[in-house]
Amino acid sequence: MTDAPFIEIEELYFSRGDHEIFRGVNMTIPRGKVTAIMGPSGTGKTTLLKLIGGQLTPESGRILIDGQDVHKLSRKALFTLRKRMGMLFQSGALFSDLDVFENVAFPLRVHTDLPNTMVRDLVLLKLQSVGLRGARHLTPAELSGGMARRVALARAVALDPELILYDEPFVGQDPISMGVLVQLIKRLNQALQLTSVVVSHDIKETLSIADYLYLIADGQVVAHGTPQTLDTNEDPRVSQFIHGEPDGPVPFHYPAEAFYRDILGDAPMIQIG
Amino acid sequence: MQSKFSNSAARITRLGRRGCDLMEALGRAGVFLFQSAVGVPSREGWRLWLHQMHFVGVLSLAIVLVSGLFIGMVLALQGYTILVDFGAEQALGQMVALSLLRELAPVVAALLFAGRAGSALTAEIGLMKATEQLTSMEMIGVDPLRRVVAPRLWAGFVSLPILTVGFSVVGIWGGYLVGVEWLGVFEGSYWSNMQASVAFVDDIGNGMIKSAVFALVVTWIAVFQGYDLVPTSEGISRATTRTVVYSSLAVLGLDFVLTAIMFGGL
Amino acid sequence: MKRSKTMEFGVGLFMVAGILGLVFLGLRVSGLTFSAPSQSFQLEANFANIGSLKPRARVTMAGVTVGRVEAIELDTEWFDARVVLSLDSELEGQLSKDSIASILTAGLLGEQYIGLSVGGDPEMLEDGDTIRDTQSALVLEELIQQFVSNMASN
Repeated sequence: MTDAPFIEIEELYFSRGDHEIFRGVNMTIPRGKVTAIMGPSGTGKTTLLKLIGGQLTPESGRILIDGQDVHKLSRKALFTLRKRMGMLFQSGALFSDLDVFENVAFPLRVHTDLPNTMVRDLVLLKLQSVGLRGARHLTPAELSGGMARRVALARAVALDPELILYDEPFVGQDPISMGVLVQLIKRLNQALQLTSVVVSHDIKETLSIADYLYLIADGQVVAHGTPQTLDTNEDPRVSQFIHGEPDGPVPFHYPAEAFYRDILGDAPMIQIG
Repeated sequence: MQSKFSNSAARITRLGRRGCDLMEALGRAGVFLFQSAVGVPSREGWRLWLHQMHFVGVLSLAIVLVSGLFIGMVLALQGYTILVDFGAEQALGQMVALSLLRELAPVVAALLFAGRAGSALTAEIGLMKATEQLTSMEMIGVDPLRRVVAPRLWAGFVSLPILTVGFSVVGIWGGYLVGVEWLGVFEGSYWSNMQASVAFVDDIGNGMIKSAVFALVVTWIAVFQGYDLVPTSEGISRATTRTVVYSSLAVLGLDFVLTAIMFGGL
Repeated sequence: MKRSKTMEFGVGLFMVAGILGLVFLGLRVSGLTFSAPSQSFQLEANFANIGSLKPRARVTMAGVTVGRVEAIELDTEWFDARVVLSLDSELEGQLSKDSIASILTAGLLGEQYIGLSVGGDPEMLEDGDTIRDTQSALVLEELIQQFVSNMASN
């Protein structure tokens, strides 16, 4: 295994309408490690994953995956590259017209010509690894949120990808399924030597699995490092986020004019006393 | 004066912008249709198509047949009361069959289809978009246009003409029930007048062409609205409404154009 | 799997029903017959006035339908209507040269059709021949006019 980074993001600019989302983002994501990208809500973390997956095209800058520029690939080459990636969506995004078994079998059926018995074995193996072999006949509508995400995880690793992108894997989970997911991500990464990118704002869980962290805010990387170095980072923006302080450089208030003016309007000041 | 001028200039600008938006949407819809419809279906594609035929076609059969029966019966009843004044109630079969084959079957079946199947297609695809199923399909390396949209498009295109045939058959039978069995029109003249006046290519053929055009337009609008909507619950409900409204207007407008070309001597 | 089988069956049934429906429309509603064009032959007849005769109208003999009106056009030489009839090939060589073609009306306001009646000439009509003896359509206005002028002269 080489030491070259798996993903390199260079000077990435992206905006939606008039709203600038990324203003010169640089990142290198090492091979075989769990890298977390964190930041307050609305900083475009999901957008970043879509850019990596080639679903969105940046205004300038480039993203290299294993040396290939994602946005310069032909449609066919992009689809080939995507076979080497798995993505876990916030909602799980299971296909509602297929049952659990067929959902996990889907990537195998479309990308391989394996005989049915082999597909069956592989699917059961993947379902076993997320602990849901018994749920294979259920439809996605019958699953709880956490179970749906585990099935989606089994589907994401069905083709044994080299890279998995996790989009907010912990959002809206009860503590037990959160623990299960943390365990699973860690185990999968170690067992399969995957490169994982986790996008999240759940600090505790993310810190416990990440090897390396990027913190983005205002369209730029404000800090990066191992969990230990970030924990002791002096930057107020970093410490506010890591320690979850309600007010700080990221203000509690949405920008507004001064409070007393808003309340009293333009009425002349009342002289007191 | 100045403000009046700038006001109307602003209005014209707005009109222009709406025009540009409209053209852009039409362009997108055209590219969308081309990308989904072109290409040889795989074995899996056939299976998906069959699946959609069930949802789009077979499940719309009941409402279409029941409506057809009632419309045929009403036509016979109304036609009889008018024709009997001229002593021409033998022409009832001809009237029922021609109105159904040329106009009512293609148009009413298409309107019912837009309400029953079109709105369901929009909502289904919209829901798949809102729950990121389409995105995740793309990430797995499968083109949702080919996998999700194409089978639905083709199923709609094939289903509606079949439903229209069913509508006509049941409608003519309904007219027979009312006209012959109830009102006492002579059975022989019901059928023979019909046979003498209905031409296979000119009436049935043109009706089928209309139906095929409506099928394409209604399904196209339905799947495009589903694919192009804003992925929220409000977006889905709006897109579903738009599907029914746009396809009804398109069907009625196109019906006039097609009728003018086919029967109007243009 | 079982459900998918019944579904496939349903779709198959749906499509077969569609084809059967189209066959029904063709045979029963538009009166399509499977006779090949070679099994008919054509005669022509000139009428001074065809009234509201239309292409595809019936051609009958003793009330039995034996053919259809193929085409109607204006004969610019005589300025009368030239009607092309397409008849059952069984009748080819069976109709005498002096057969009469007349335009009749079904009921008072019904559709108009052509009635053929045979004469006694030993020579027979062949494909493409013209029927000389024709009777024009009854036009209601002309009848009334005749009636009124008769009344006046009386």
